[in-house]
Parts: sequence; C-alpha cells; structure tokens
Amino acid sequence: MRPHDDDLDDEIRGHLAISIKERIERGEDPASARLAALKEFGNVTLTRDSMRSVWRFGWLDQIDALARDLRLALRSLLRAKGLAATVVATLALGIGANAAIFSVVRGVLLRPLVNRDEDRLLYIRQLAPGIGAENLTFSVPEINDLKARVKTIAAFGDFSTVDFTMIGLGGEPRIVKAGVVGGSFFDVMGLRPVLGRLLTPRDDGPEAAGAAVLTYRFWTESLAGDPSMVGKTIRLGPRTATVVGVLEPSVPYPADTEIIANIVTSPHHLGATMNTSRTHRMSELFGRLAPGATIESARAELATAYAAIVRAHPEAYSPRSNAQLSVSRLRDQIAAPARTVLLVLLAAAAVVFVIACSNVANLILARSVRREGELAVRAALGAGSGALRRTLLAESLVLCAAGAVLGVVLAQPLVAVVARFAARFSVRALEVTVDMSVVWVGAGLAIAAAVLLAYVPRLPSPHAPAGLGLASGSVRITPGTNRRLRIFATTQIAFSFVLLAGAAMLLATLVAMQTANTGYDMRQVLALDIPPAATGTSQVMTFYQELTRRVGRLPGVTGVAEGMVVPWRDAGALPSGIAFAVDGYRPADGEENPRARFRVVSPRYFAVMGVPLVAGRDFTDEDRDARDLVVIVSQSVAQRLFPNGEAINRHMWWVDPYFGPKPVPRRIVGVVGDVDDEHIVRAPAMAVYQPVAQVGFAQRLFVRASGDPYALVPSIRRTVRDIAADQPVERAATLEDVRAEVLSPDRLNAFVFAGFAGIALLIAVVGVAGVLAFSVSARTREFGVRLAIGSAPRHLLARVLKEGVVIAAIGIASGAAGGFALARAAARFFDHVQVPGAVPLTGAAAILIAAAIAASLMPAARASRVDVMQALRSE
Amino acid sequence: MPKQPDDQRLELLQGTLDMLILRTLQWGAQHGHGIGQAIRARSDALLKVETGSLYPALHRLVKRGWLTAEWGVSEAHQRARYYRLTAAGKAQLLREQDRWAQLVDAIGRVMNPAPAPKE
Repeated sequence: MRPHDDDLDDEIRGHLAISIKERIERGEDPASARLAALKEFGNVTLTRDSMRSVWRFGWLDQIDALARDLRLALRSLLRAKGLAATVVATLALGIGANAAIFSVVRGVLLRPLVNRDEDRLLYIRQLAPGIGAENLTFSVPEINDLKARVKTIAAFGDFSTVDFTMIGLGGEPRIVKAGVVGGSFFDVMGLRPVLGRLLTPRDDGPEAAGAAVLTYRFWTESLAGDPSMVGKTIRLGPRTATVVGVLEPSVPYPADTEIIANIVTSPHHLGATMNTSRTHRMSELFGRLAPGATIESARAELATAYAAIVRAHPEAYSPRSNAQLSVSRLRDQIAAPARTVLLVLLAAAAVVFVIACSNVANLILARSVRREGELAVRAALGAGSGALRRTLLAESLVLCAAGAVLGVVLAQPLVAVVARFAARFSVRALEVTVDMSVVWVGAGLAIAAAVLLAYVPRLPSPHAPAGLGLASGSVRITPGTNRRLRIFATTQIAFSFVLLAGAAMLLATLVAMQTANTGYDMRQVLALDIPPAATGTSQVMTFYQELTRRVGRLPGVTGVAEGMVVPWRDAGALPSGIAFAVDGYRPADGEENPRARFRVVSPRYFAVMGVPLVAGRDFTDEDRDARDLVVIVSQSVAQRLFPNGEAINRHMWWVDPYFGPKPVPRRIVGVVGDVDDEHIVRAPAMAVYQPVAQVGFAQRLFVRASGDPYALVPSIRRTVRDIAADQPVERAATLEDVRAEVLSPDRLNAFVFAGFAGIALLIAVVGVAGVLAFSVSARTREFGVRLAIGSAPRHLLARVLKEGVVIAAIGIASGAAGGFALARAAARFFDHVQVPGAVPLTGAAAILIAAAIAASLMPAARASRVDVMQALRSE
Repeated sequence: MPKQPDDQRLELLQGTLDMLILRTLQWGAQHGHGIGQAIRARSDALLKVETGSLYPALHRLVKRGWLTAEWGVSEAHQRARYYRLTAAGKAQLLREQDRWAQLVDAIGRVMNPAPAPKE
C-alpha cells in the first residue's frame, strides 16, 4: 500500500514529463518548456516530503528519521572535534557532579531503612535547651514511667553503650564497644538475625543467662563470617555470655558496636544507681507506633505524659532547663545532620549544571551562526523548519549523550568522595553505593540539556532573503544572536559569582578561625590523653604526681601540668555553665545566678599553657588541704562580679545540686586571663579553676617544650610505661594541631565548595573567552575599517577588554542580587543561613573580573592585530 | 488555453480540494497532472491547484481508501500513476456534494436574504 520513495520520485518525474511534453506541443522550445514546467511545479523536495509525510504513521518513522539525523550529526561533529570535546567535557562535569550528589542524597535521605515497617519506627530524645543539652538520653525510671503512661507506642526499646574487655572468639583480650539492650529492643527495631537468634524478653532480668549478638560488620570483618562463632561462650569483663546469633546488616544507630548483649552482662545495669536514679541517664530510647497510631498522636501523648512526669519529680527537672521530648522517625533522625549539607551540595551541583548548560548553549549558538549558510541552503532546498530543528536536536542529542556517558563514568569516583564527606554527618552515607539511579539522573539531565540546546539557535526563516548567506558563506552576526551570546555568558558569571562568594565565605570563616588569637600558646604545648586507670583516687593522684615530676625532668621540657580537658577537642565533655555564687554579689530579683565553666588544673598549668596570671597567685603543691579550698577565676568572672578589683580572698561556691546539697565556700586566690576551650573563636568565658589535688581527678597532660614538641612523645611514653606498664598514652598533639583537627570538617566544607566554585569559574572563563573570540572574529571587517580610519590598535584592545569586563560586571551584579534573594528564601527553611561579608564578596568579584580580563585578553589582542587590507578585502 | 491574470484566480476553500478530486475522477481514472489540468479547465482557469497540495491530497485519499492507484503509461508515453475512485470514494463524494450544497445554500441565505413575506 505504502509507496516506495522511488515511486514518489517517479510520480513527480512523470508529472513533469507530461507537463513539458504539453508545452512543447504548444510550440515552446524544449529548454524553456522544461524551465517553465519546473517553475510551475514549485518546490519538488517539499512536495515529495509532504507526500511522504501522508504515509507516516507515528513514532516509528520519527525514530527512523532521527536515526538518520543522528548519523549525520555524528559525522558533522567529528569535523568540529575541538568544539565537540569542549561541550562534552563541560556537560560531563555538570552531569557527573549532579548524578554523584543525587546518589548520595538518595542513599542518605530518601532510601528506607532495612528495619521492618521502618516508617513506624521512632526515635525519642530528651533535651533541655535551657542548659544547652541537645540529647540527654533517658534514665531507667523515666523509661518505666513512659512505658506505663503511653498507649500510642506499642513497645519501647532501650540501648546503652558500654565498653567491655572481651575474652573469647579467638585472639587477645580486647576492648569491645557493646550495646546493652532490653529484651524488646530487636523486636521494636524490626531487625532479623542472619544466624541463630536475637535477644528477646526472656533474656531480661538479673536471673537470665548472659547472651550476646554479634553485629554483622564485626562478624564479617573481624571473625571472617565464621558460623561456628554462634554458641561460643565469651567473657565480658567479670561476666560470661553465650553468643546466640548474628544481626543482619543494618544502619548502626545510635552507636557502631561490635556486640549487643543483654542487661545481665553489665553489672552496672543491674545496680541501684542505674535502676533508681532518675537523673542517671544513659539509655537511648526507641519506640514502635501502635497499630492505628500516627507519629502526631504519639508525639502529643508523649508530650502530655512527659509533662506529668516532670510535674511529679520537680527535683530531677529544673524549671530553667526547660526539659522536653522530641520525637522523630528513626530514618529522619539518622539523616538529619546530613540534610542541610547535602541539600546545599545539591544546590551547588545544580548551579554548576546551569553554568555548564549555558556555556554549552553559547558554543552551540556560535556554531549555529557559523553554519547559518548551511542551514540557509538546506531551507532553500526545501527542508521544513521541523527537519532543521531535528537536525539540531540530533546534534545536541549526540553531544549530550556523550556528555552523559562521560558524566556517569565521572560520577562513580565522585560518589565515593561525596559519600566519605557525608559520612561525617550521617552513618547512612557509608552504605551509599553507585547504582542505576546515577545513570537515570545522568540520562534525564542530558535529555533536558539536549532539548534546551536544540531550541537555542534561531533557524533561518524561509522567507528571509537567504542570498547573502548562500553566496558568501561568511559569518554574519546578527544583533539578536550577539545578545543571546552575552546573556548566556552573563548567566554563567552570575551563577559562578554565587558559588565563588559562598566558597569565599567558607574560606574566610576558616581563615578567621585558624588565625584567631586563642589566648593559648599554640605551638610549644603538647597535649596528651592519659586516661586514669580505674583504681582508687589516691593511687591516681600519686601516679600523676610521679608522672609530672619525672616528665618535668626530661631534657627539652620546660614545664608540665595536668588538666581535665584538652581545649576544643574535649569541648562538650563537661557542662558548659554551672551556677555559682560569690560573697559580695547578690543577683537582682529574677536574675539567675551567674554560671561558669568548672575546670580542674594542676599548679603551673597557666604558665605551661601561656595563659597570663592577672592577679593573685597560681596554685601550688601545698593547695591540697580540704579545710582551705581554693579556686582561681578567669578575668571575666573577676570583672563582672568584683568590679572594684577585690576578687582575691573572697569566696565562691557552686549552687548546682551536682556539687552536693550543701554549698562549700572556696577562696579565690588568683585571677587569670580569659581563654575559651570550647570555641575556637574566643568568646568571653567565665571559668572557675580548682586544683587537681583538691578534686582528685585529672586525665590530660600538658607539656611545654623548648624545641619540637613531637620529639618528646617517645620519651614521655617511656616515662609513663615506667610508672604503670599498661597505662595508655593517646592522641599526642600540639594545641595548634588540635585546632586543625577540630576544624577539619570546616576545612572539608570549604574544600568541597571551593572545588565547585573552581569548576564554575573555569567554565565561566571558557564561556566569556568564547563569546568574545566569536564576537571578534565576526567583526573582523569592523575592526579593519576602524584601523583604516585611524583607530590605534590599543583602543581596539581596550574596547574588547571593556566588553569582557562589562559582561562580568553585569553578571556579578545580577549574581549578587540573585544570591541575596536566594539567601533570604533559604533562611526561611534552614537555621544557619549566612550572607557573606564584604571581604568574601569583594574577593569573589575581584576574582571574576580578573578572570574576565584574562579571558578577554586573547580575543582583544587578536582584534588589535587585524590585518587591515585583508579585513577590507575579505568581503 | 485562456490565461487568467493571477489576481483573478480564486483560492481553494479549505477542504474542498478532496471533493474536487473525487468529482474529477468520476469520469474515469486519471493521473495527477491530468487531475490538475481538469480542475483548471472546468473552472475556466479560475481554480489552479498547486502540485504541492494536489499530490499530498491524492496520497491522503488513497490512504483513506477512497482512491486506488496503479502505474500505467500516459499519453506522453511516460510512466504515470493513475488514480481511480473506489466504491467508498463514490459514497464519500455524494456525502461531500450534499454538504457542499447545504453550505452554499446556507451562505447564500446569509449573503442574499429573501425579502420578507408581505402581509
């Protein structure tokens, strides 16, 4: 039924032959008859195409046509290798970054947990914003109260972390991190064993036999997945337990442990403190929604129950702490810390994609202007606008497909990098793998880009006089095209500016933190963790005294002191503000007692750390008498509470019940400079120091060195071992390195963002250079004329440079405007949106202007060197 | 053949070309060129069918089953495709003629309203 293409040609040929024959019979001469017949017929190709299109049915033909166009596109792109390579590389960067980050976002934020009915699994948190506690965990009496009062939660599971010395399962005795859980835990979590069984309510209580479950990671990594491990007996500290099973692979939350054991294995969990003290909080709490209950109803019921508990036990919940419960889905709880970071990264990747697309659009547009001649010829030969559009679409499809393939390849290693980065915020990132979603995202983005790009160039209008394009084949640039090129270049600059400003802000913050004056001597002080062995207080004190004495005698050591916290590294280990009172200062009505950090230091601590003594004296070895308790206060305490400078020999006492029911007055013997061991950028911090000898506790050693502090580490370690053979010495670092270590997440943030900004800048530079180069090459004649009538070459140079700078300036201005709008919009959804200060903004702008000038230099130089004669003769 | 200046030539009304083709083929099979000439001659050269419209229309009618096409040899001893009306095509022609008559009648009433009947 369907005529062959040759038949269509034959039919037209037959028509023409009849027409010519009739004309010749009427007396026209053959040549003019032929011409007249052709003229009368009109556009042969177009007619044949519309005949053929009658027979088209649907997409099969479209695909066929597209395949033909694709082959054509491939051939024509192979002739423009440089352009094709640039486009593919740019697209690959944009697509790769997006695909990689999306995989991680999907893995961390969107994918469900393996737990059964994981959307009914809740994590319950007790927090006290009034005293800065984000997660207090729960005590056993609190859990029992909640269990008794709440009906919307079918079952609660509790989990606390304990370190055991484990003997058994082969190898040396070793310290393992263990979870200790009640019998309902695994049922609440909805986890299954891969081997043996998990713990059940029959394992509860002091009479049960010790039982432990191995986590999948521990079983596979440390025990080589040996199934014979199940059934073995292990020693856990003083108790024994039987390995009853292996847990399936699951997100390790709240802690990555090696075993999970029942209550009976931990003597502490059976003790009175654990079971009766309402403030002895060490259990994480999980809940499973009862059938029919929703998270909202559970939240409401828990809040009511909790309020009743707080009312019933005023001694355990101070009104100021503003204690409350927070209920979230377990999945959200695990992902929450990574959410903001990942969304910001996703936004950055999207911006890079926009930049990449507009750069590619620029290149394509320039190319299409160069081939306007070709398109005009094809239009004149009867190609409809659909056909031309299809040709362009085919080309951009080929380019984008290549970009997508390369991008997906690029995404594989990127996923690993991003996942490692995100793992700092959420353990779920560790299980992110490259999967098909990368490919889908890549393909989707490529198709989006291809369709966009095909509609960028203007088609030659069939009605416009095409004579010029046909005849000269030279490049003519229309104002419209020029404007589009500039708009795309400006877009790139604008988006690059947003990224650059963001990166500059992170860098500026980082630099500020790294160079801030901390009040400590950063370089010469070595901090070491020397955790006390669990023996009596007097032995610990003797050990530290002996240690300090011997280390002090080592060559190269100019001072030794003990303390309780290493600045910044141990931040948060102690409560950050404890209420106290002093004689002579009475808080006004309604005013709270002042709060200060409680710190324990040895004599010479301040000298070793480089903290100046402002008034009074340092602690001495004689400050050990329990009848004369002494303290040293920081300058801000002295200034605020003793404005007349009479702090020395006045008394202070802690009023927090943590220090016992009766206030004990302590005499102030000295005032030292303010330091902030919790924040790297110093804030005035009230601190009260007590001597180690009067508290009976220390765990950190600070050594001041005359030379390289790290050279002292081996001899210090030897000294420690000489006194106590099994005493660990850990994490030796100068304060400067401690700060660097604490800042590493910030550094990583800045690094990742700077990477994005760098890619964006690179693409934008290519974009601006491309636009100007094209504009210059299209205006060769104009420059020739200018030179011929007496323009100096450097004026031309300046002209082109100025064009580059104008593009950059407009881009920066719109980027700044857009960026501020974006920041304002983002501030409504996220807590910590900062608008960068003047310095990062100026810096980013300067970098972009410099880049724009650099990018314009080459085209500008070319413009100024135009050969006048050649330029004038060329048309 | 009388020539008509271009500005006197009439534009074909939308949708009437199919009807004209069907009508022309009532007298027997014809090739594309002949159909075009016949329409032109019968309209005293007032209607000129562009080949760019004629041939796609012919193929469309074949596709709908109103015409059949077969290769033959023309009077010019040229291979040509001859179109012939099918039974369905004849039925379609009748339908279109009816519709056309109604249309002409309706338009005529609008353009030349009959004088109102006298009381």
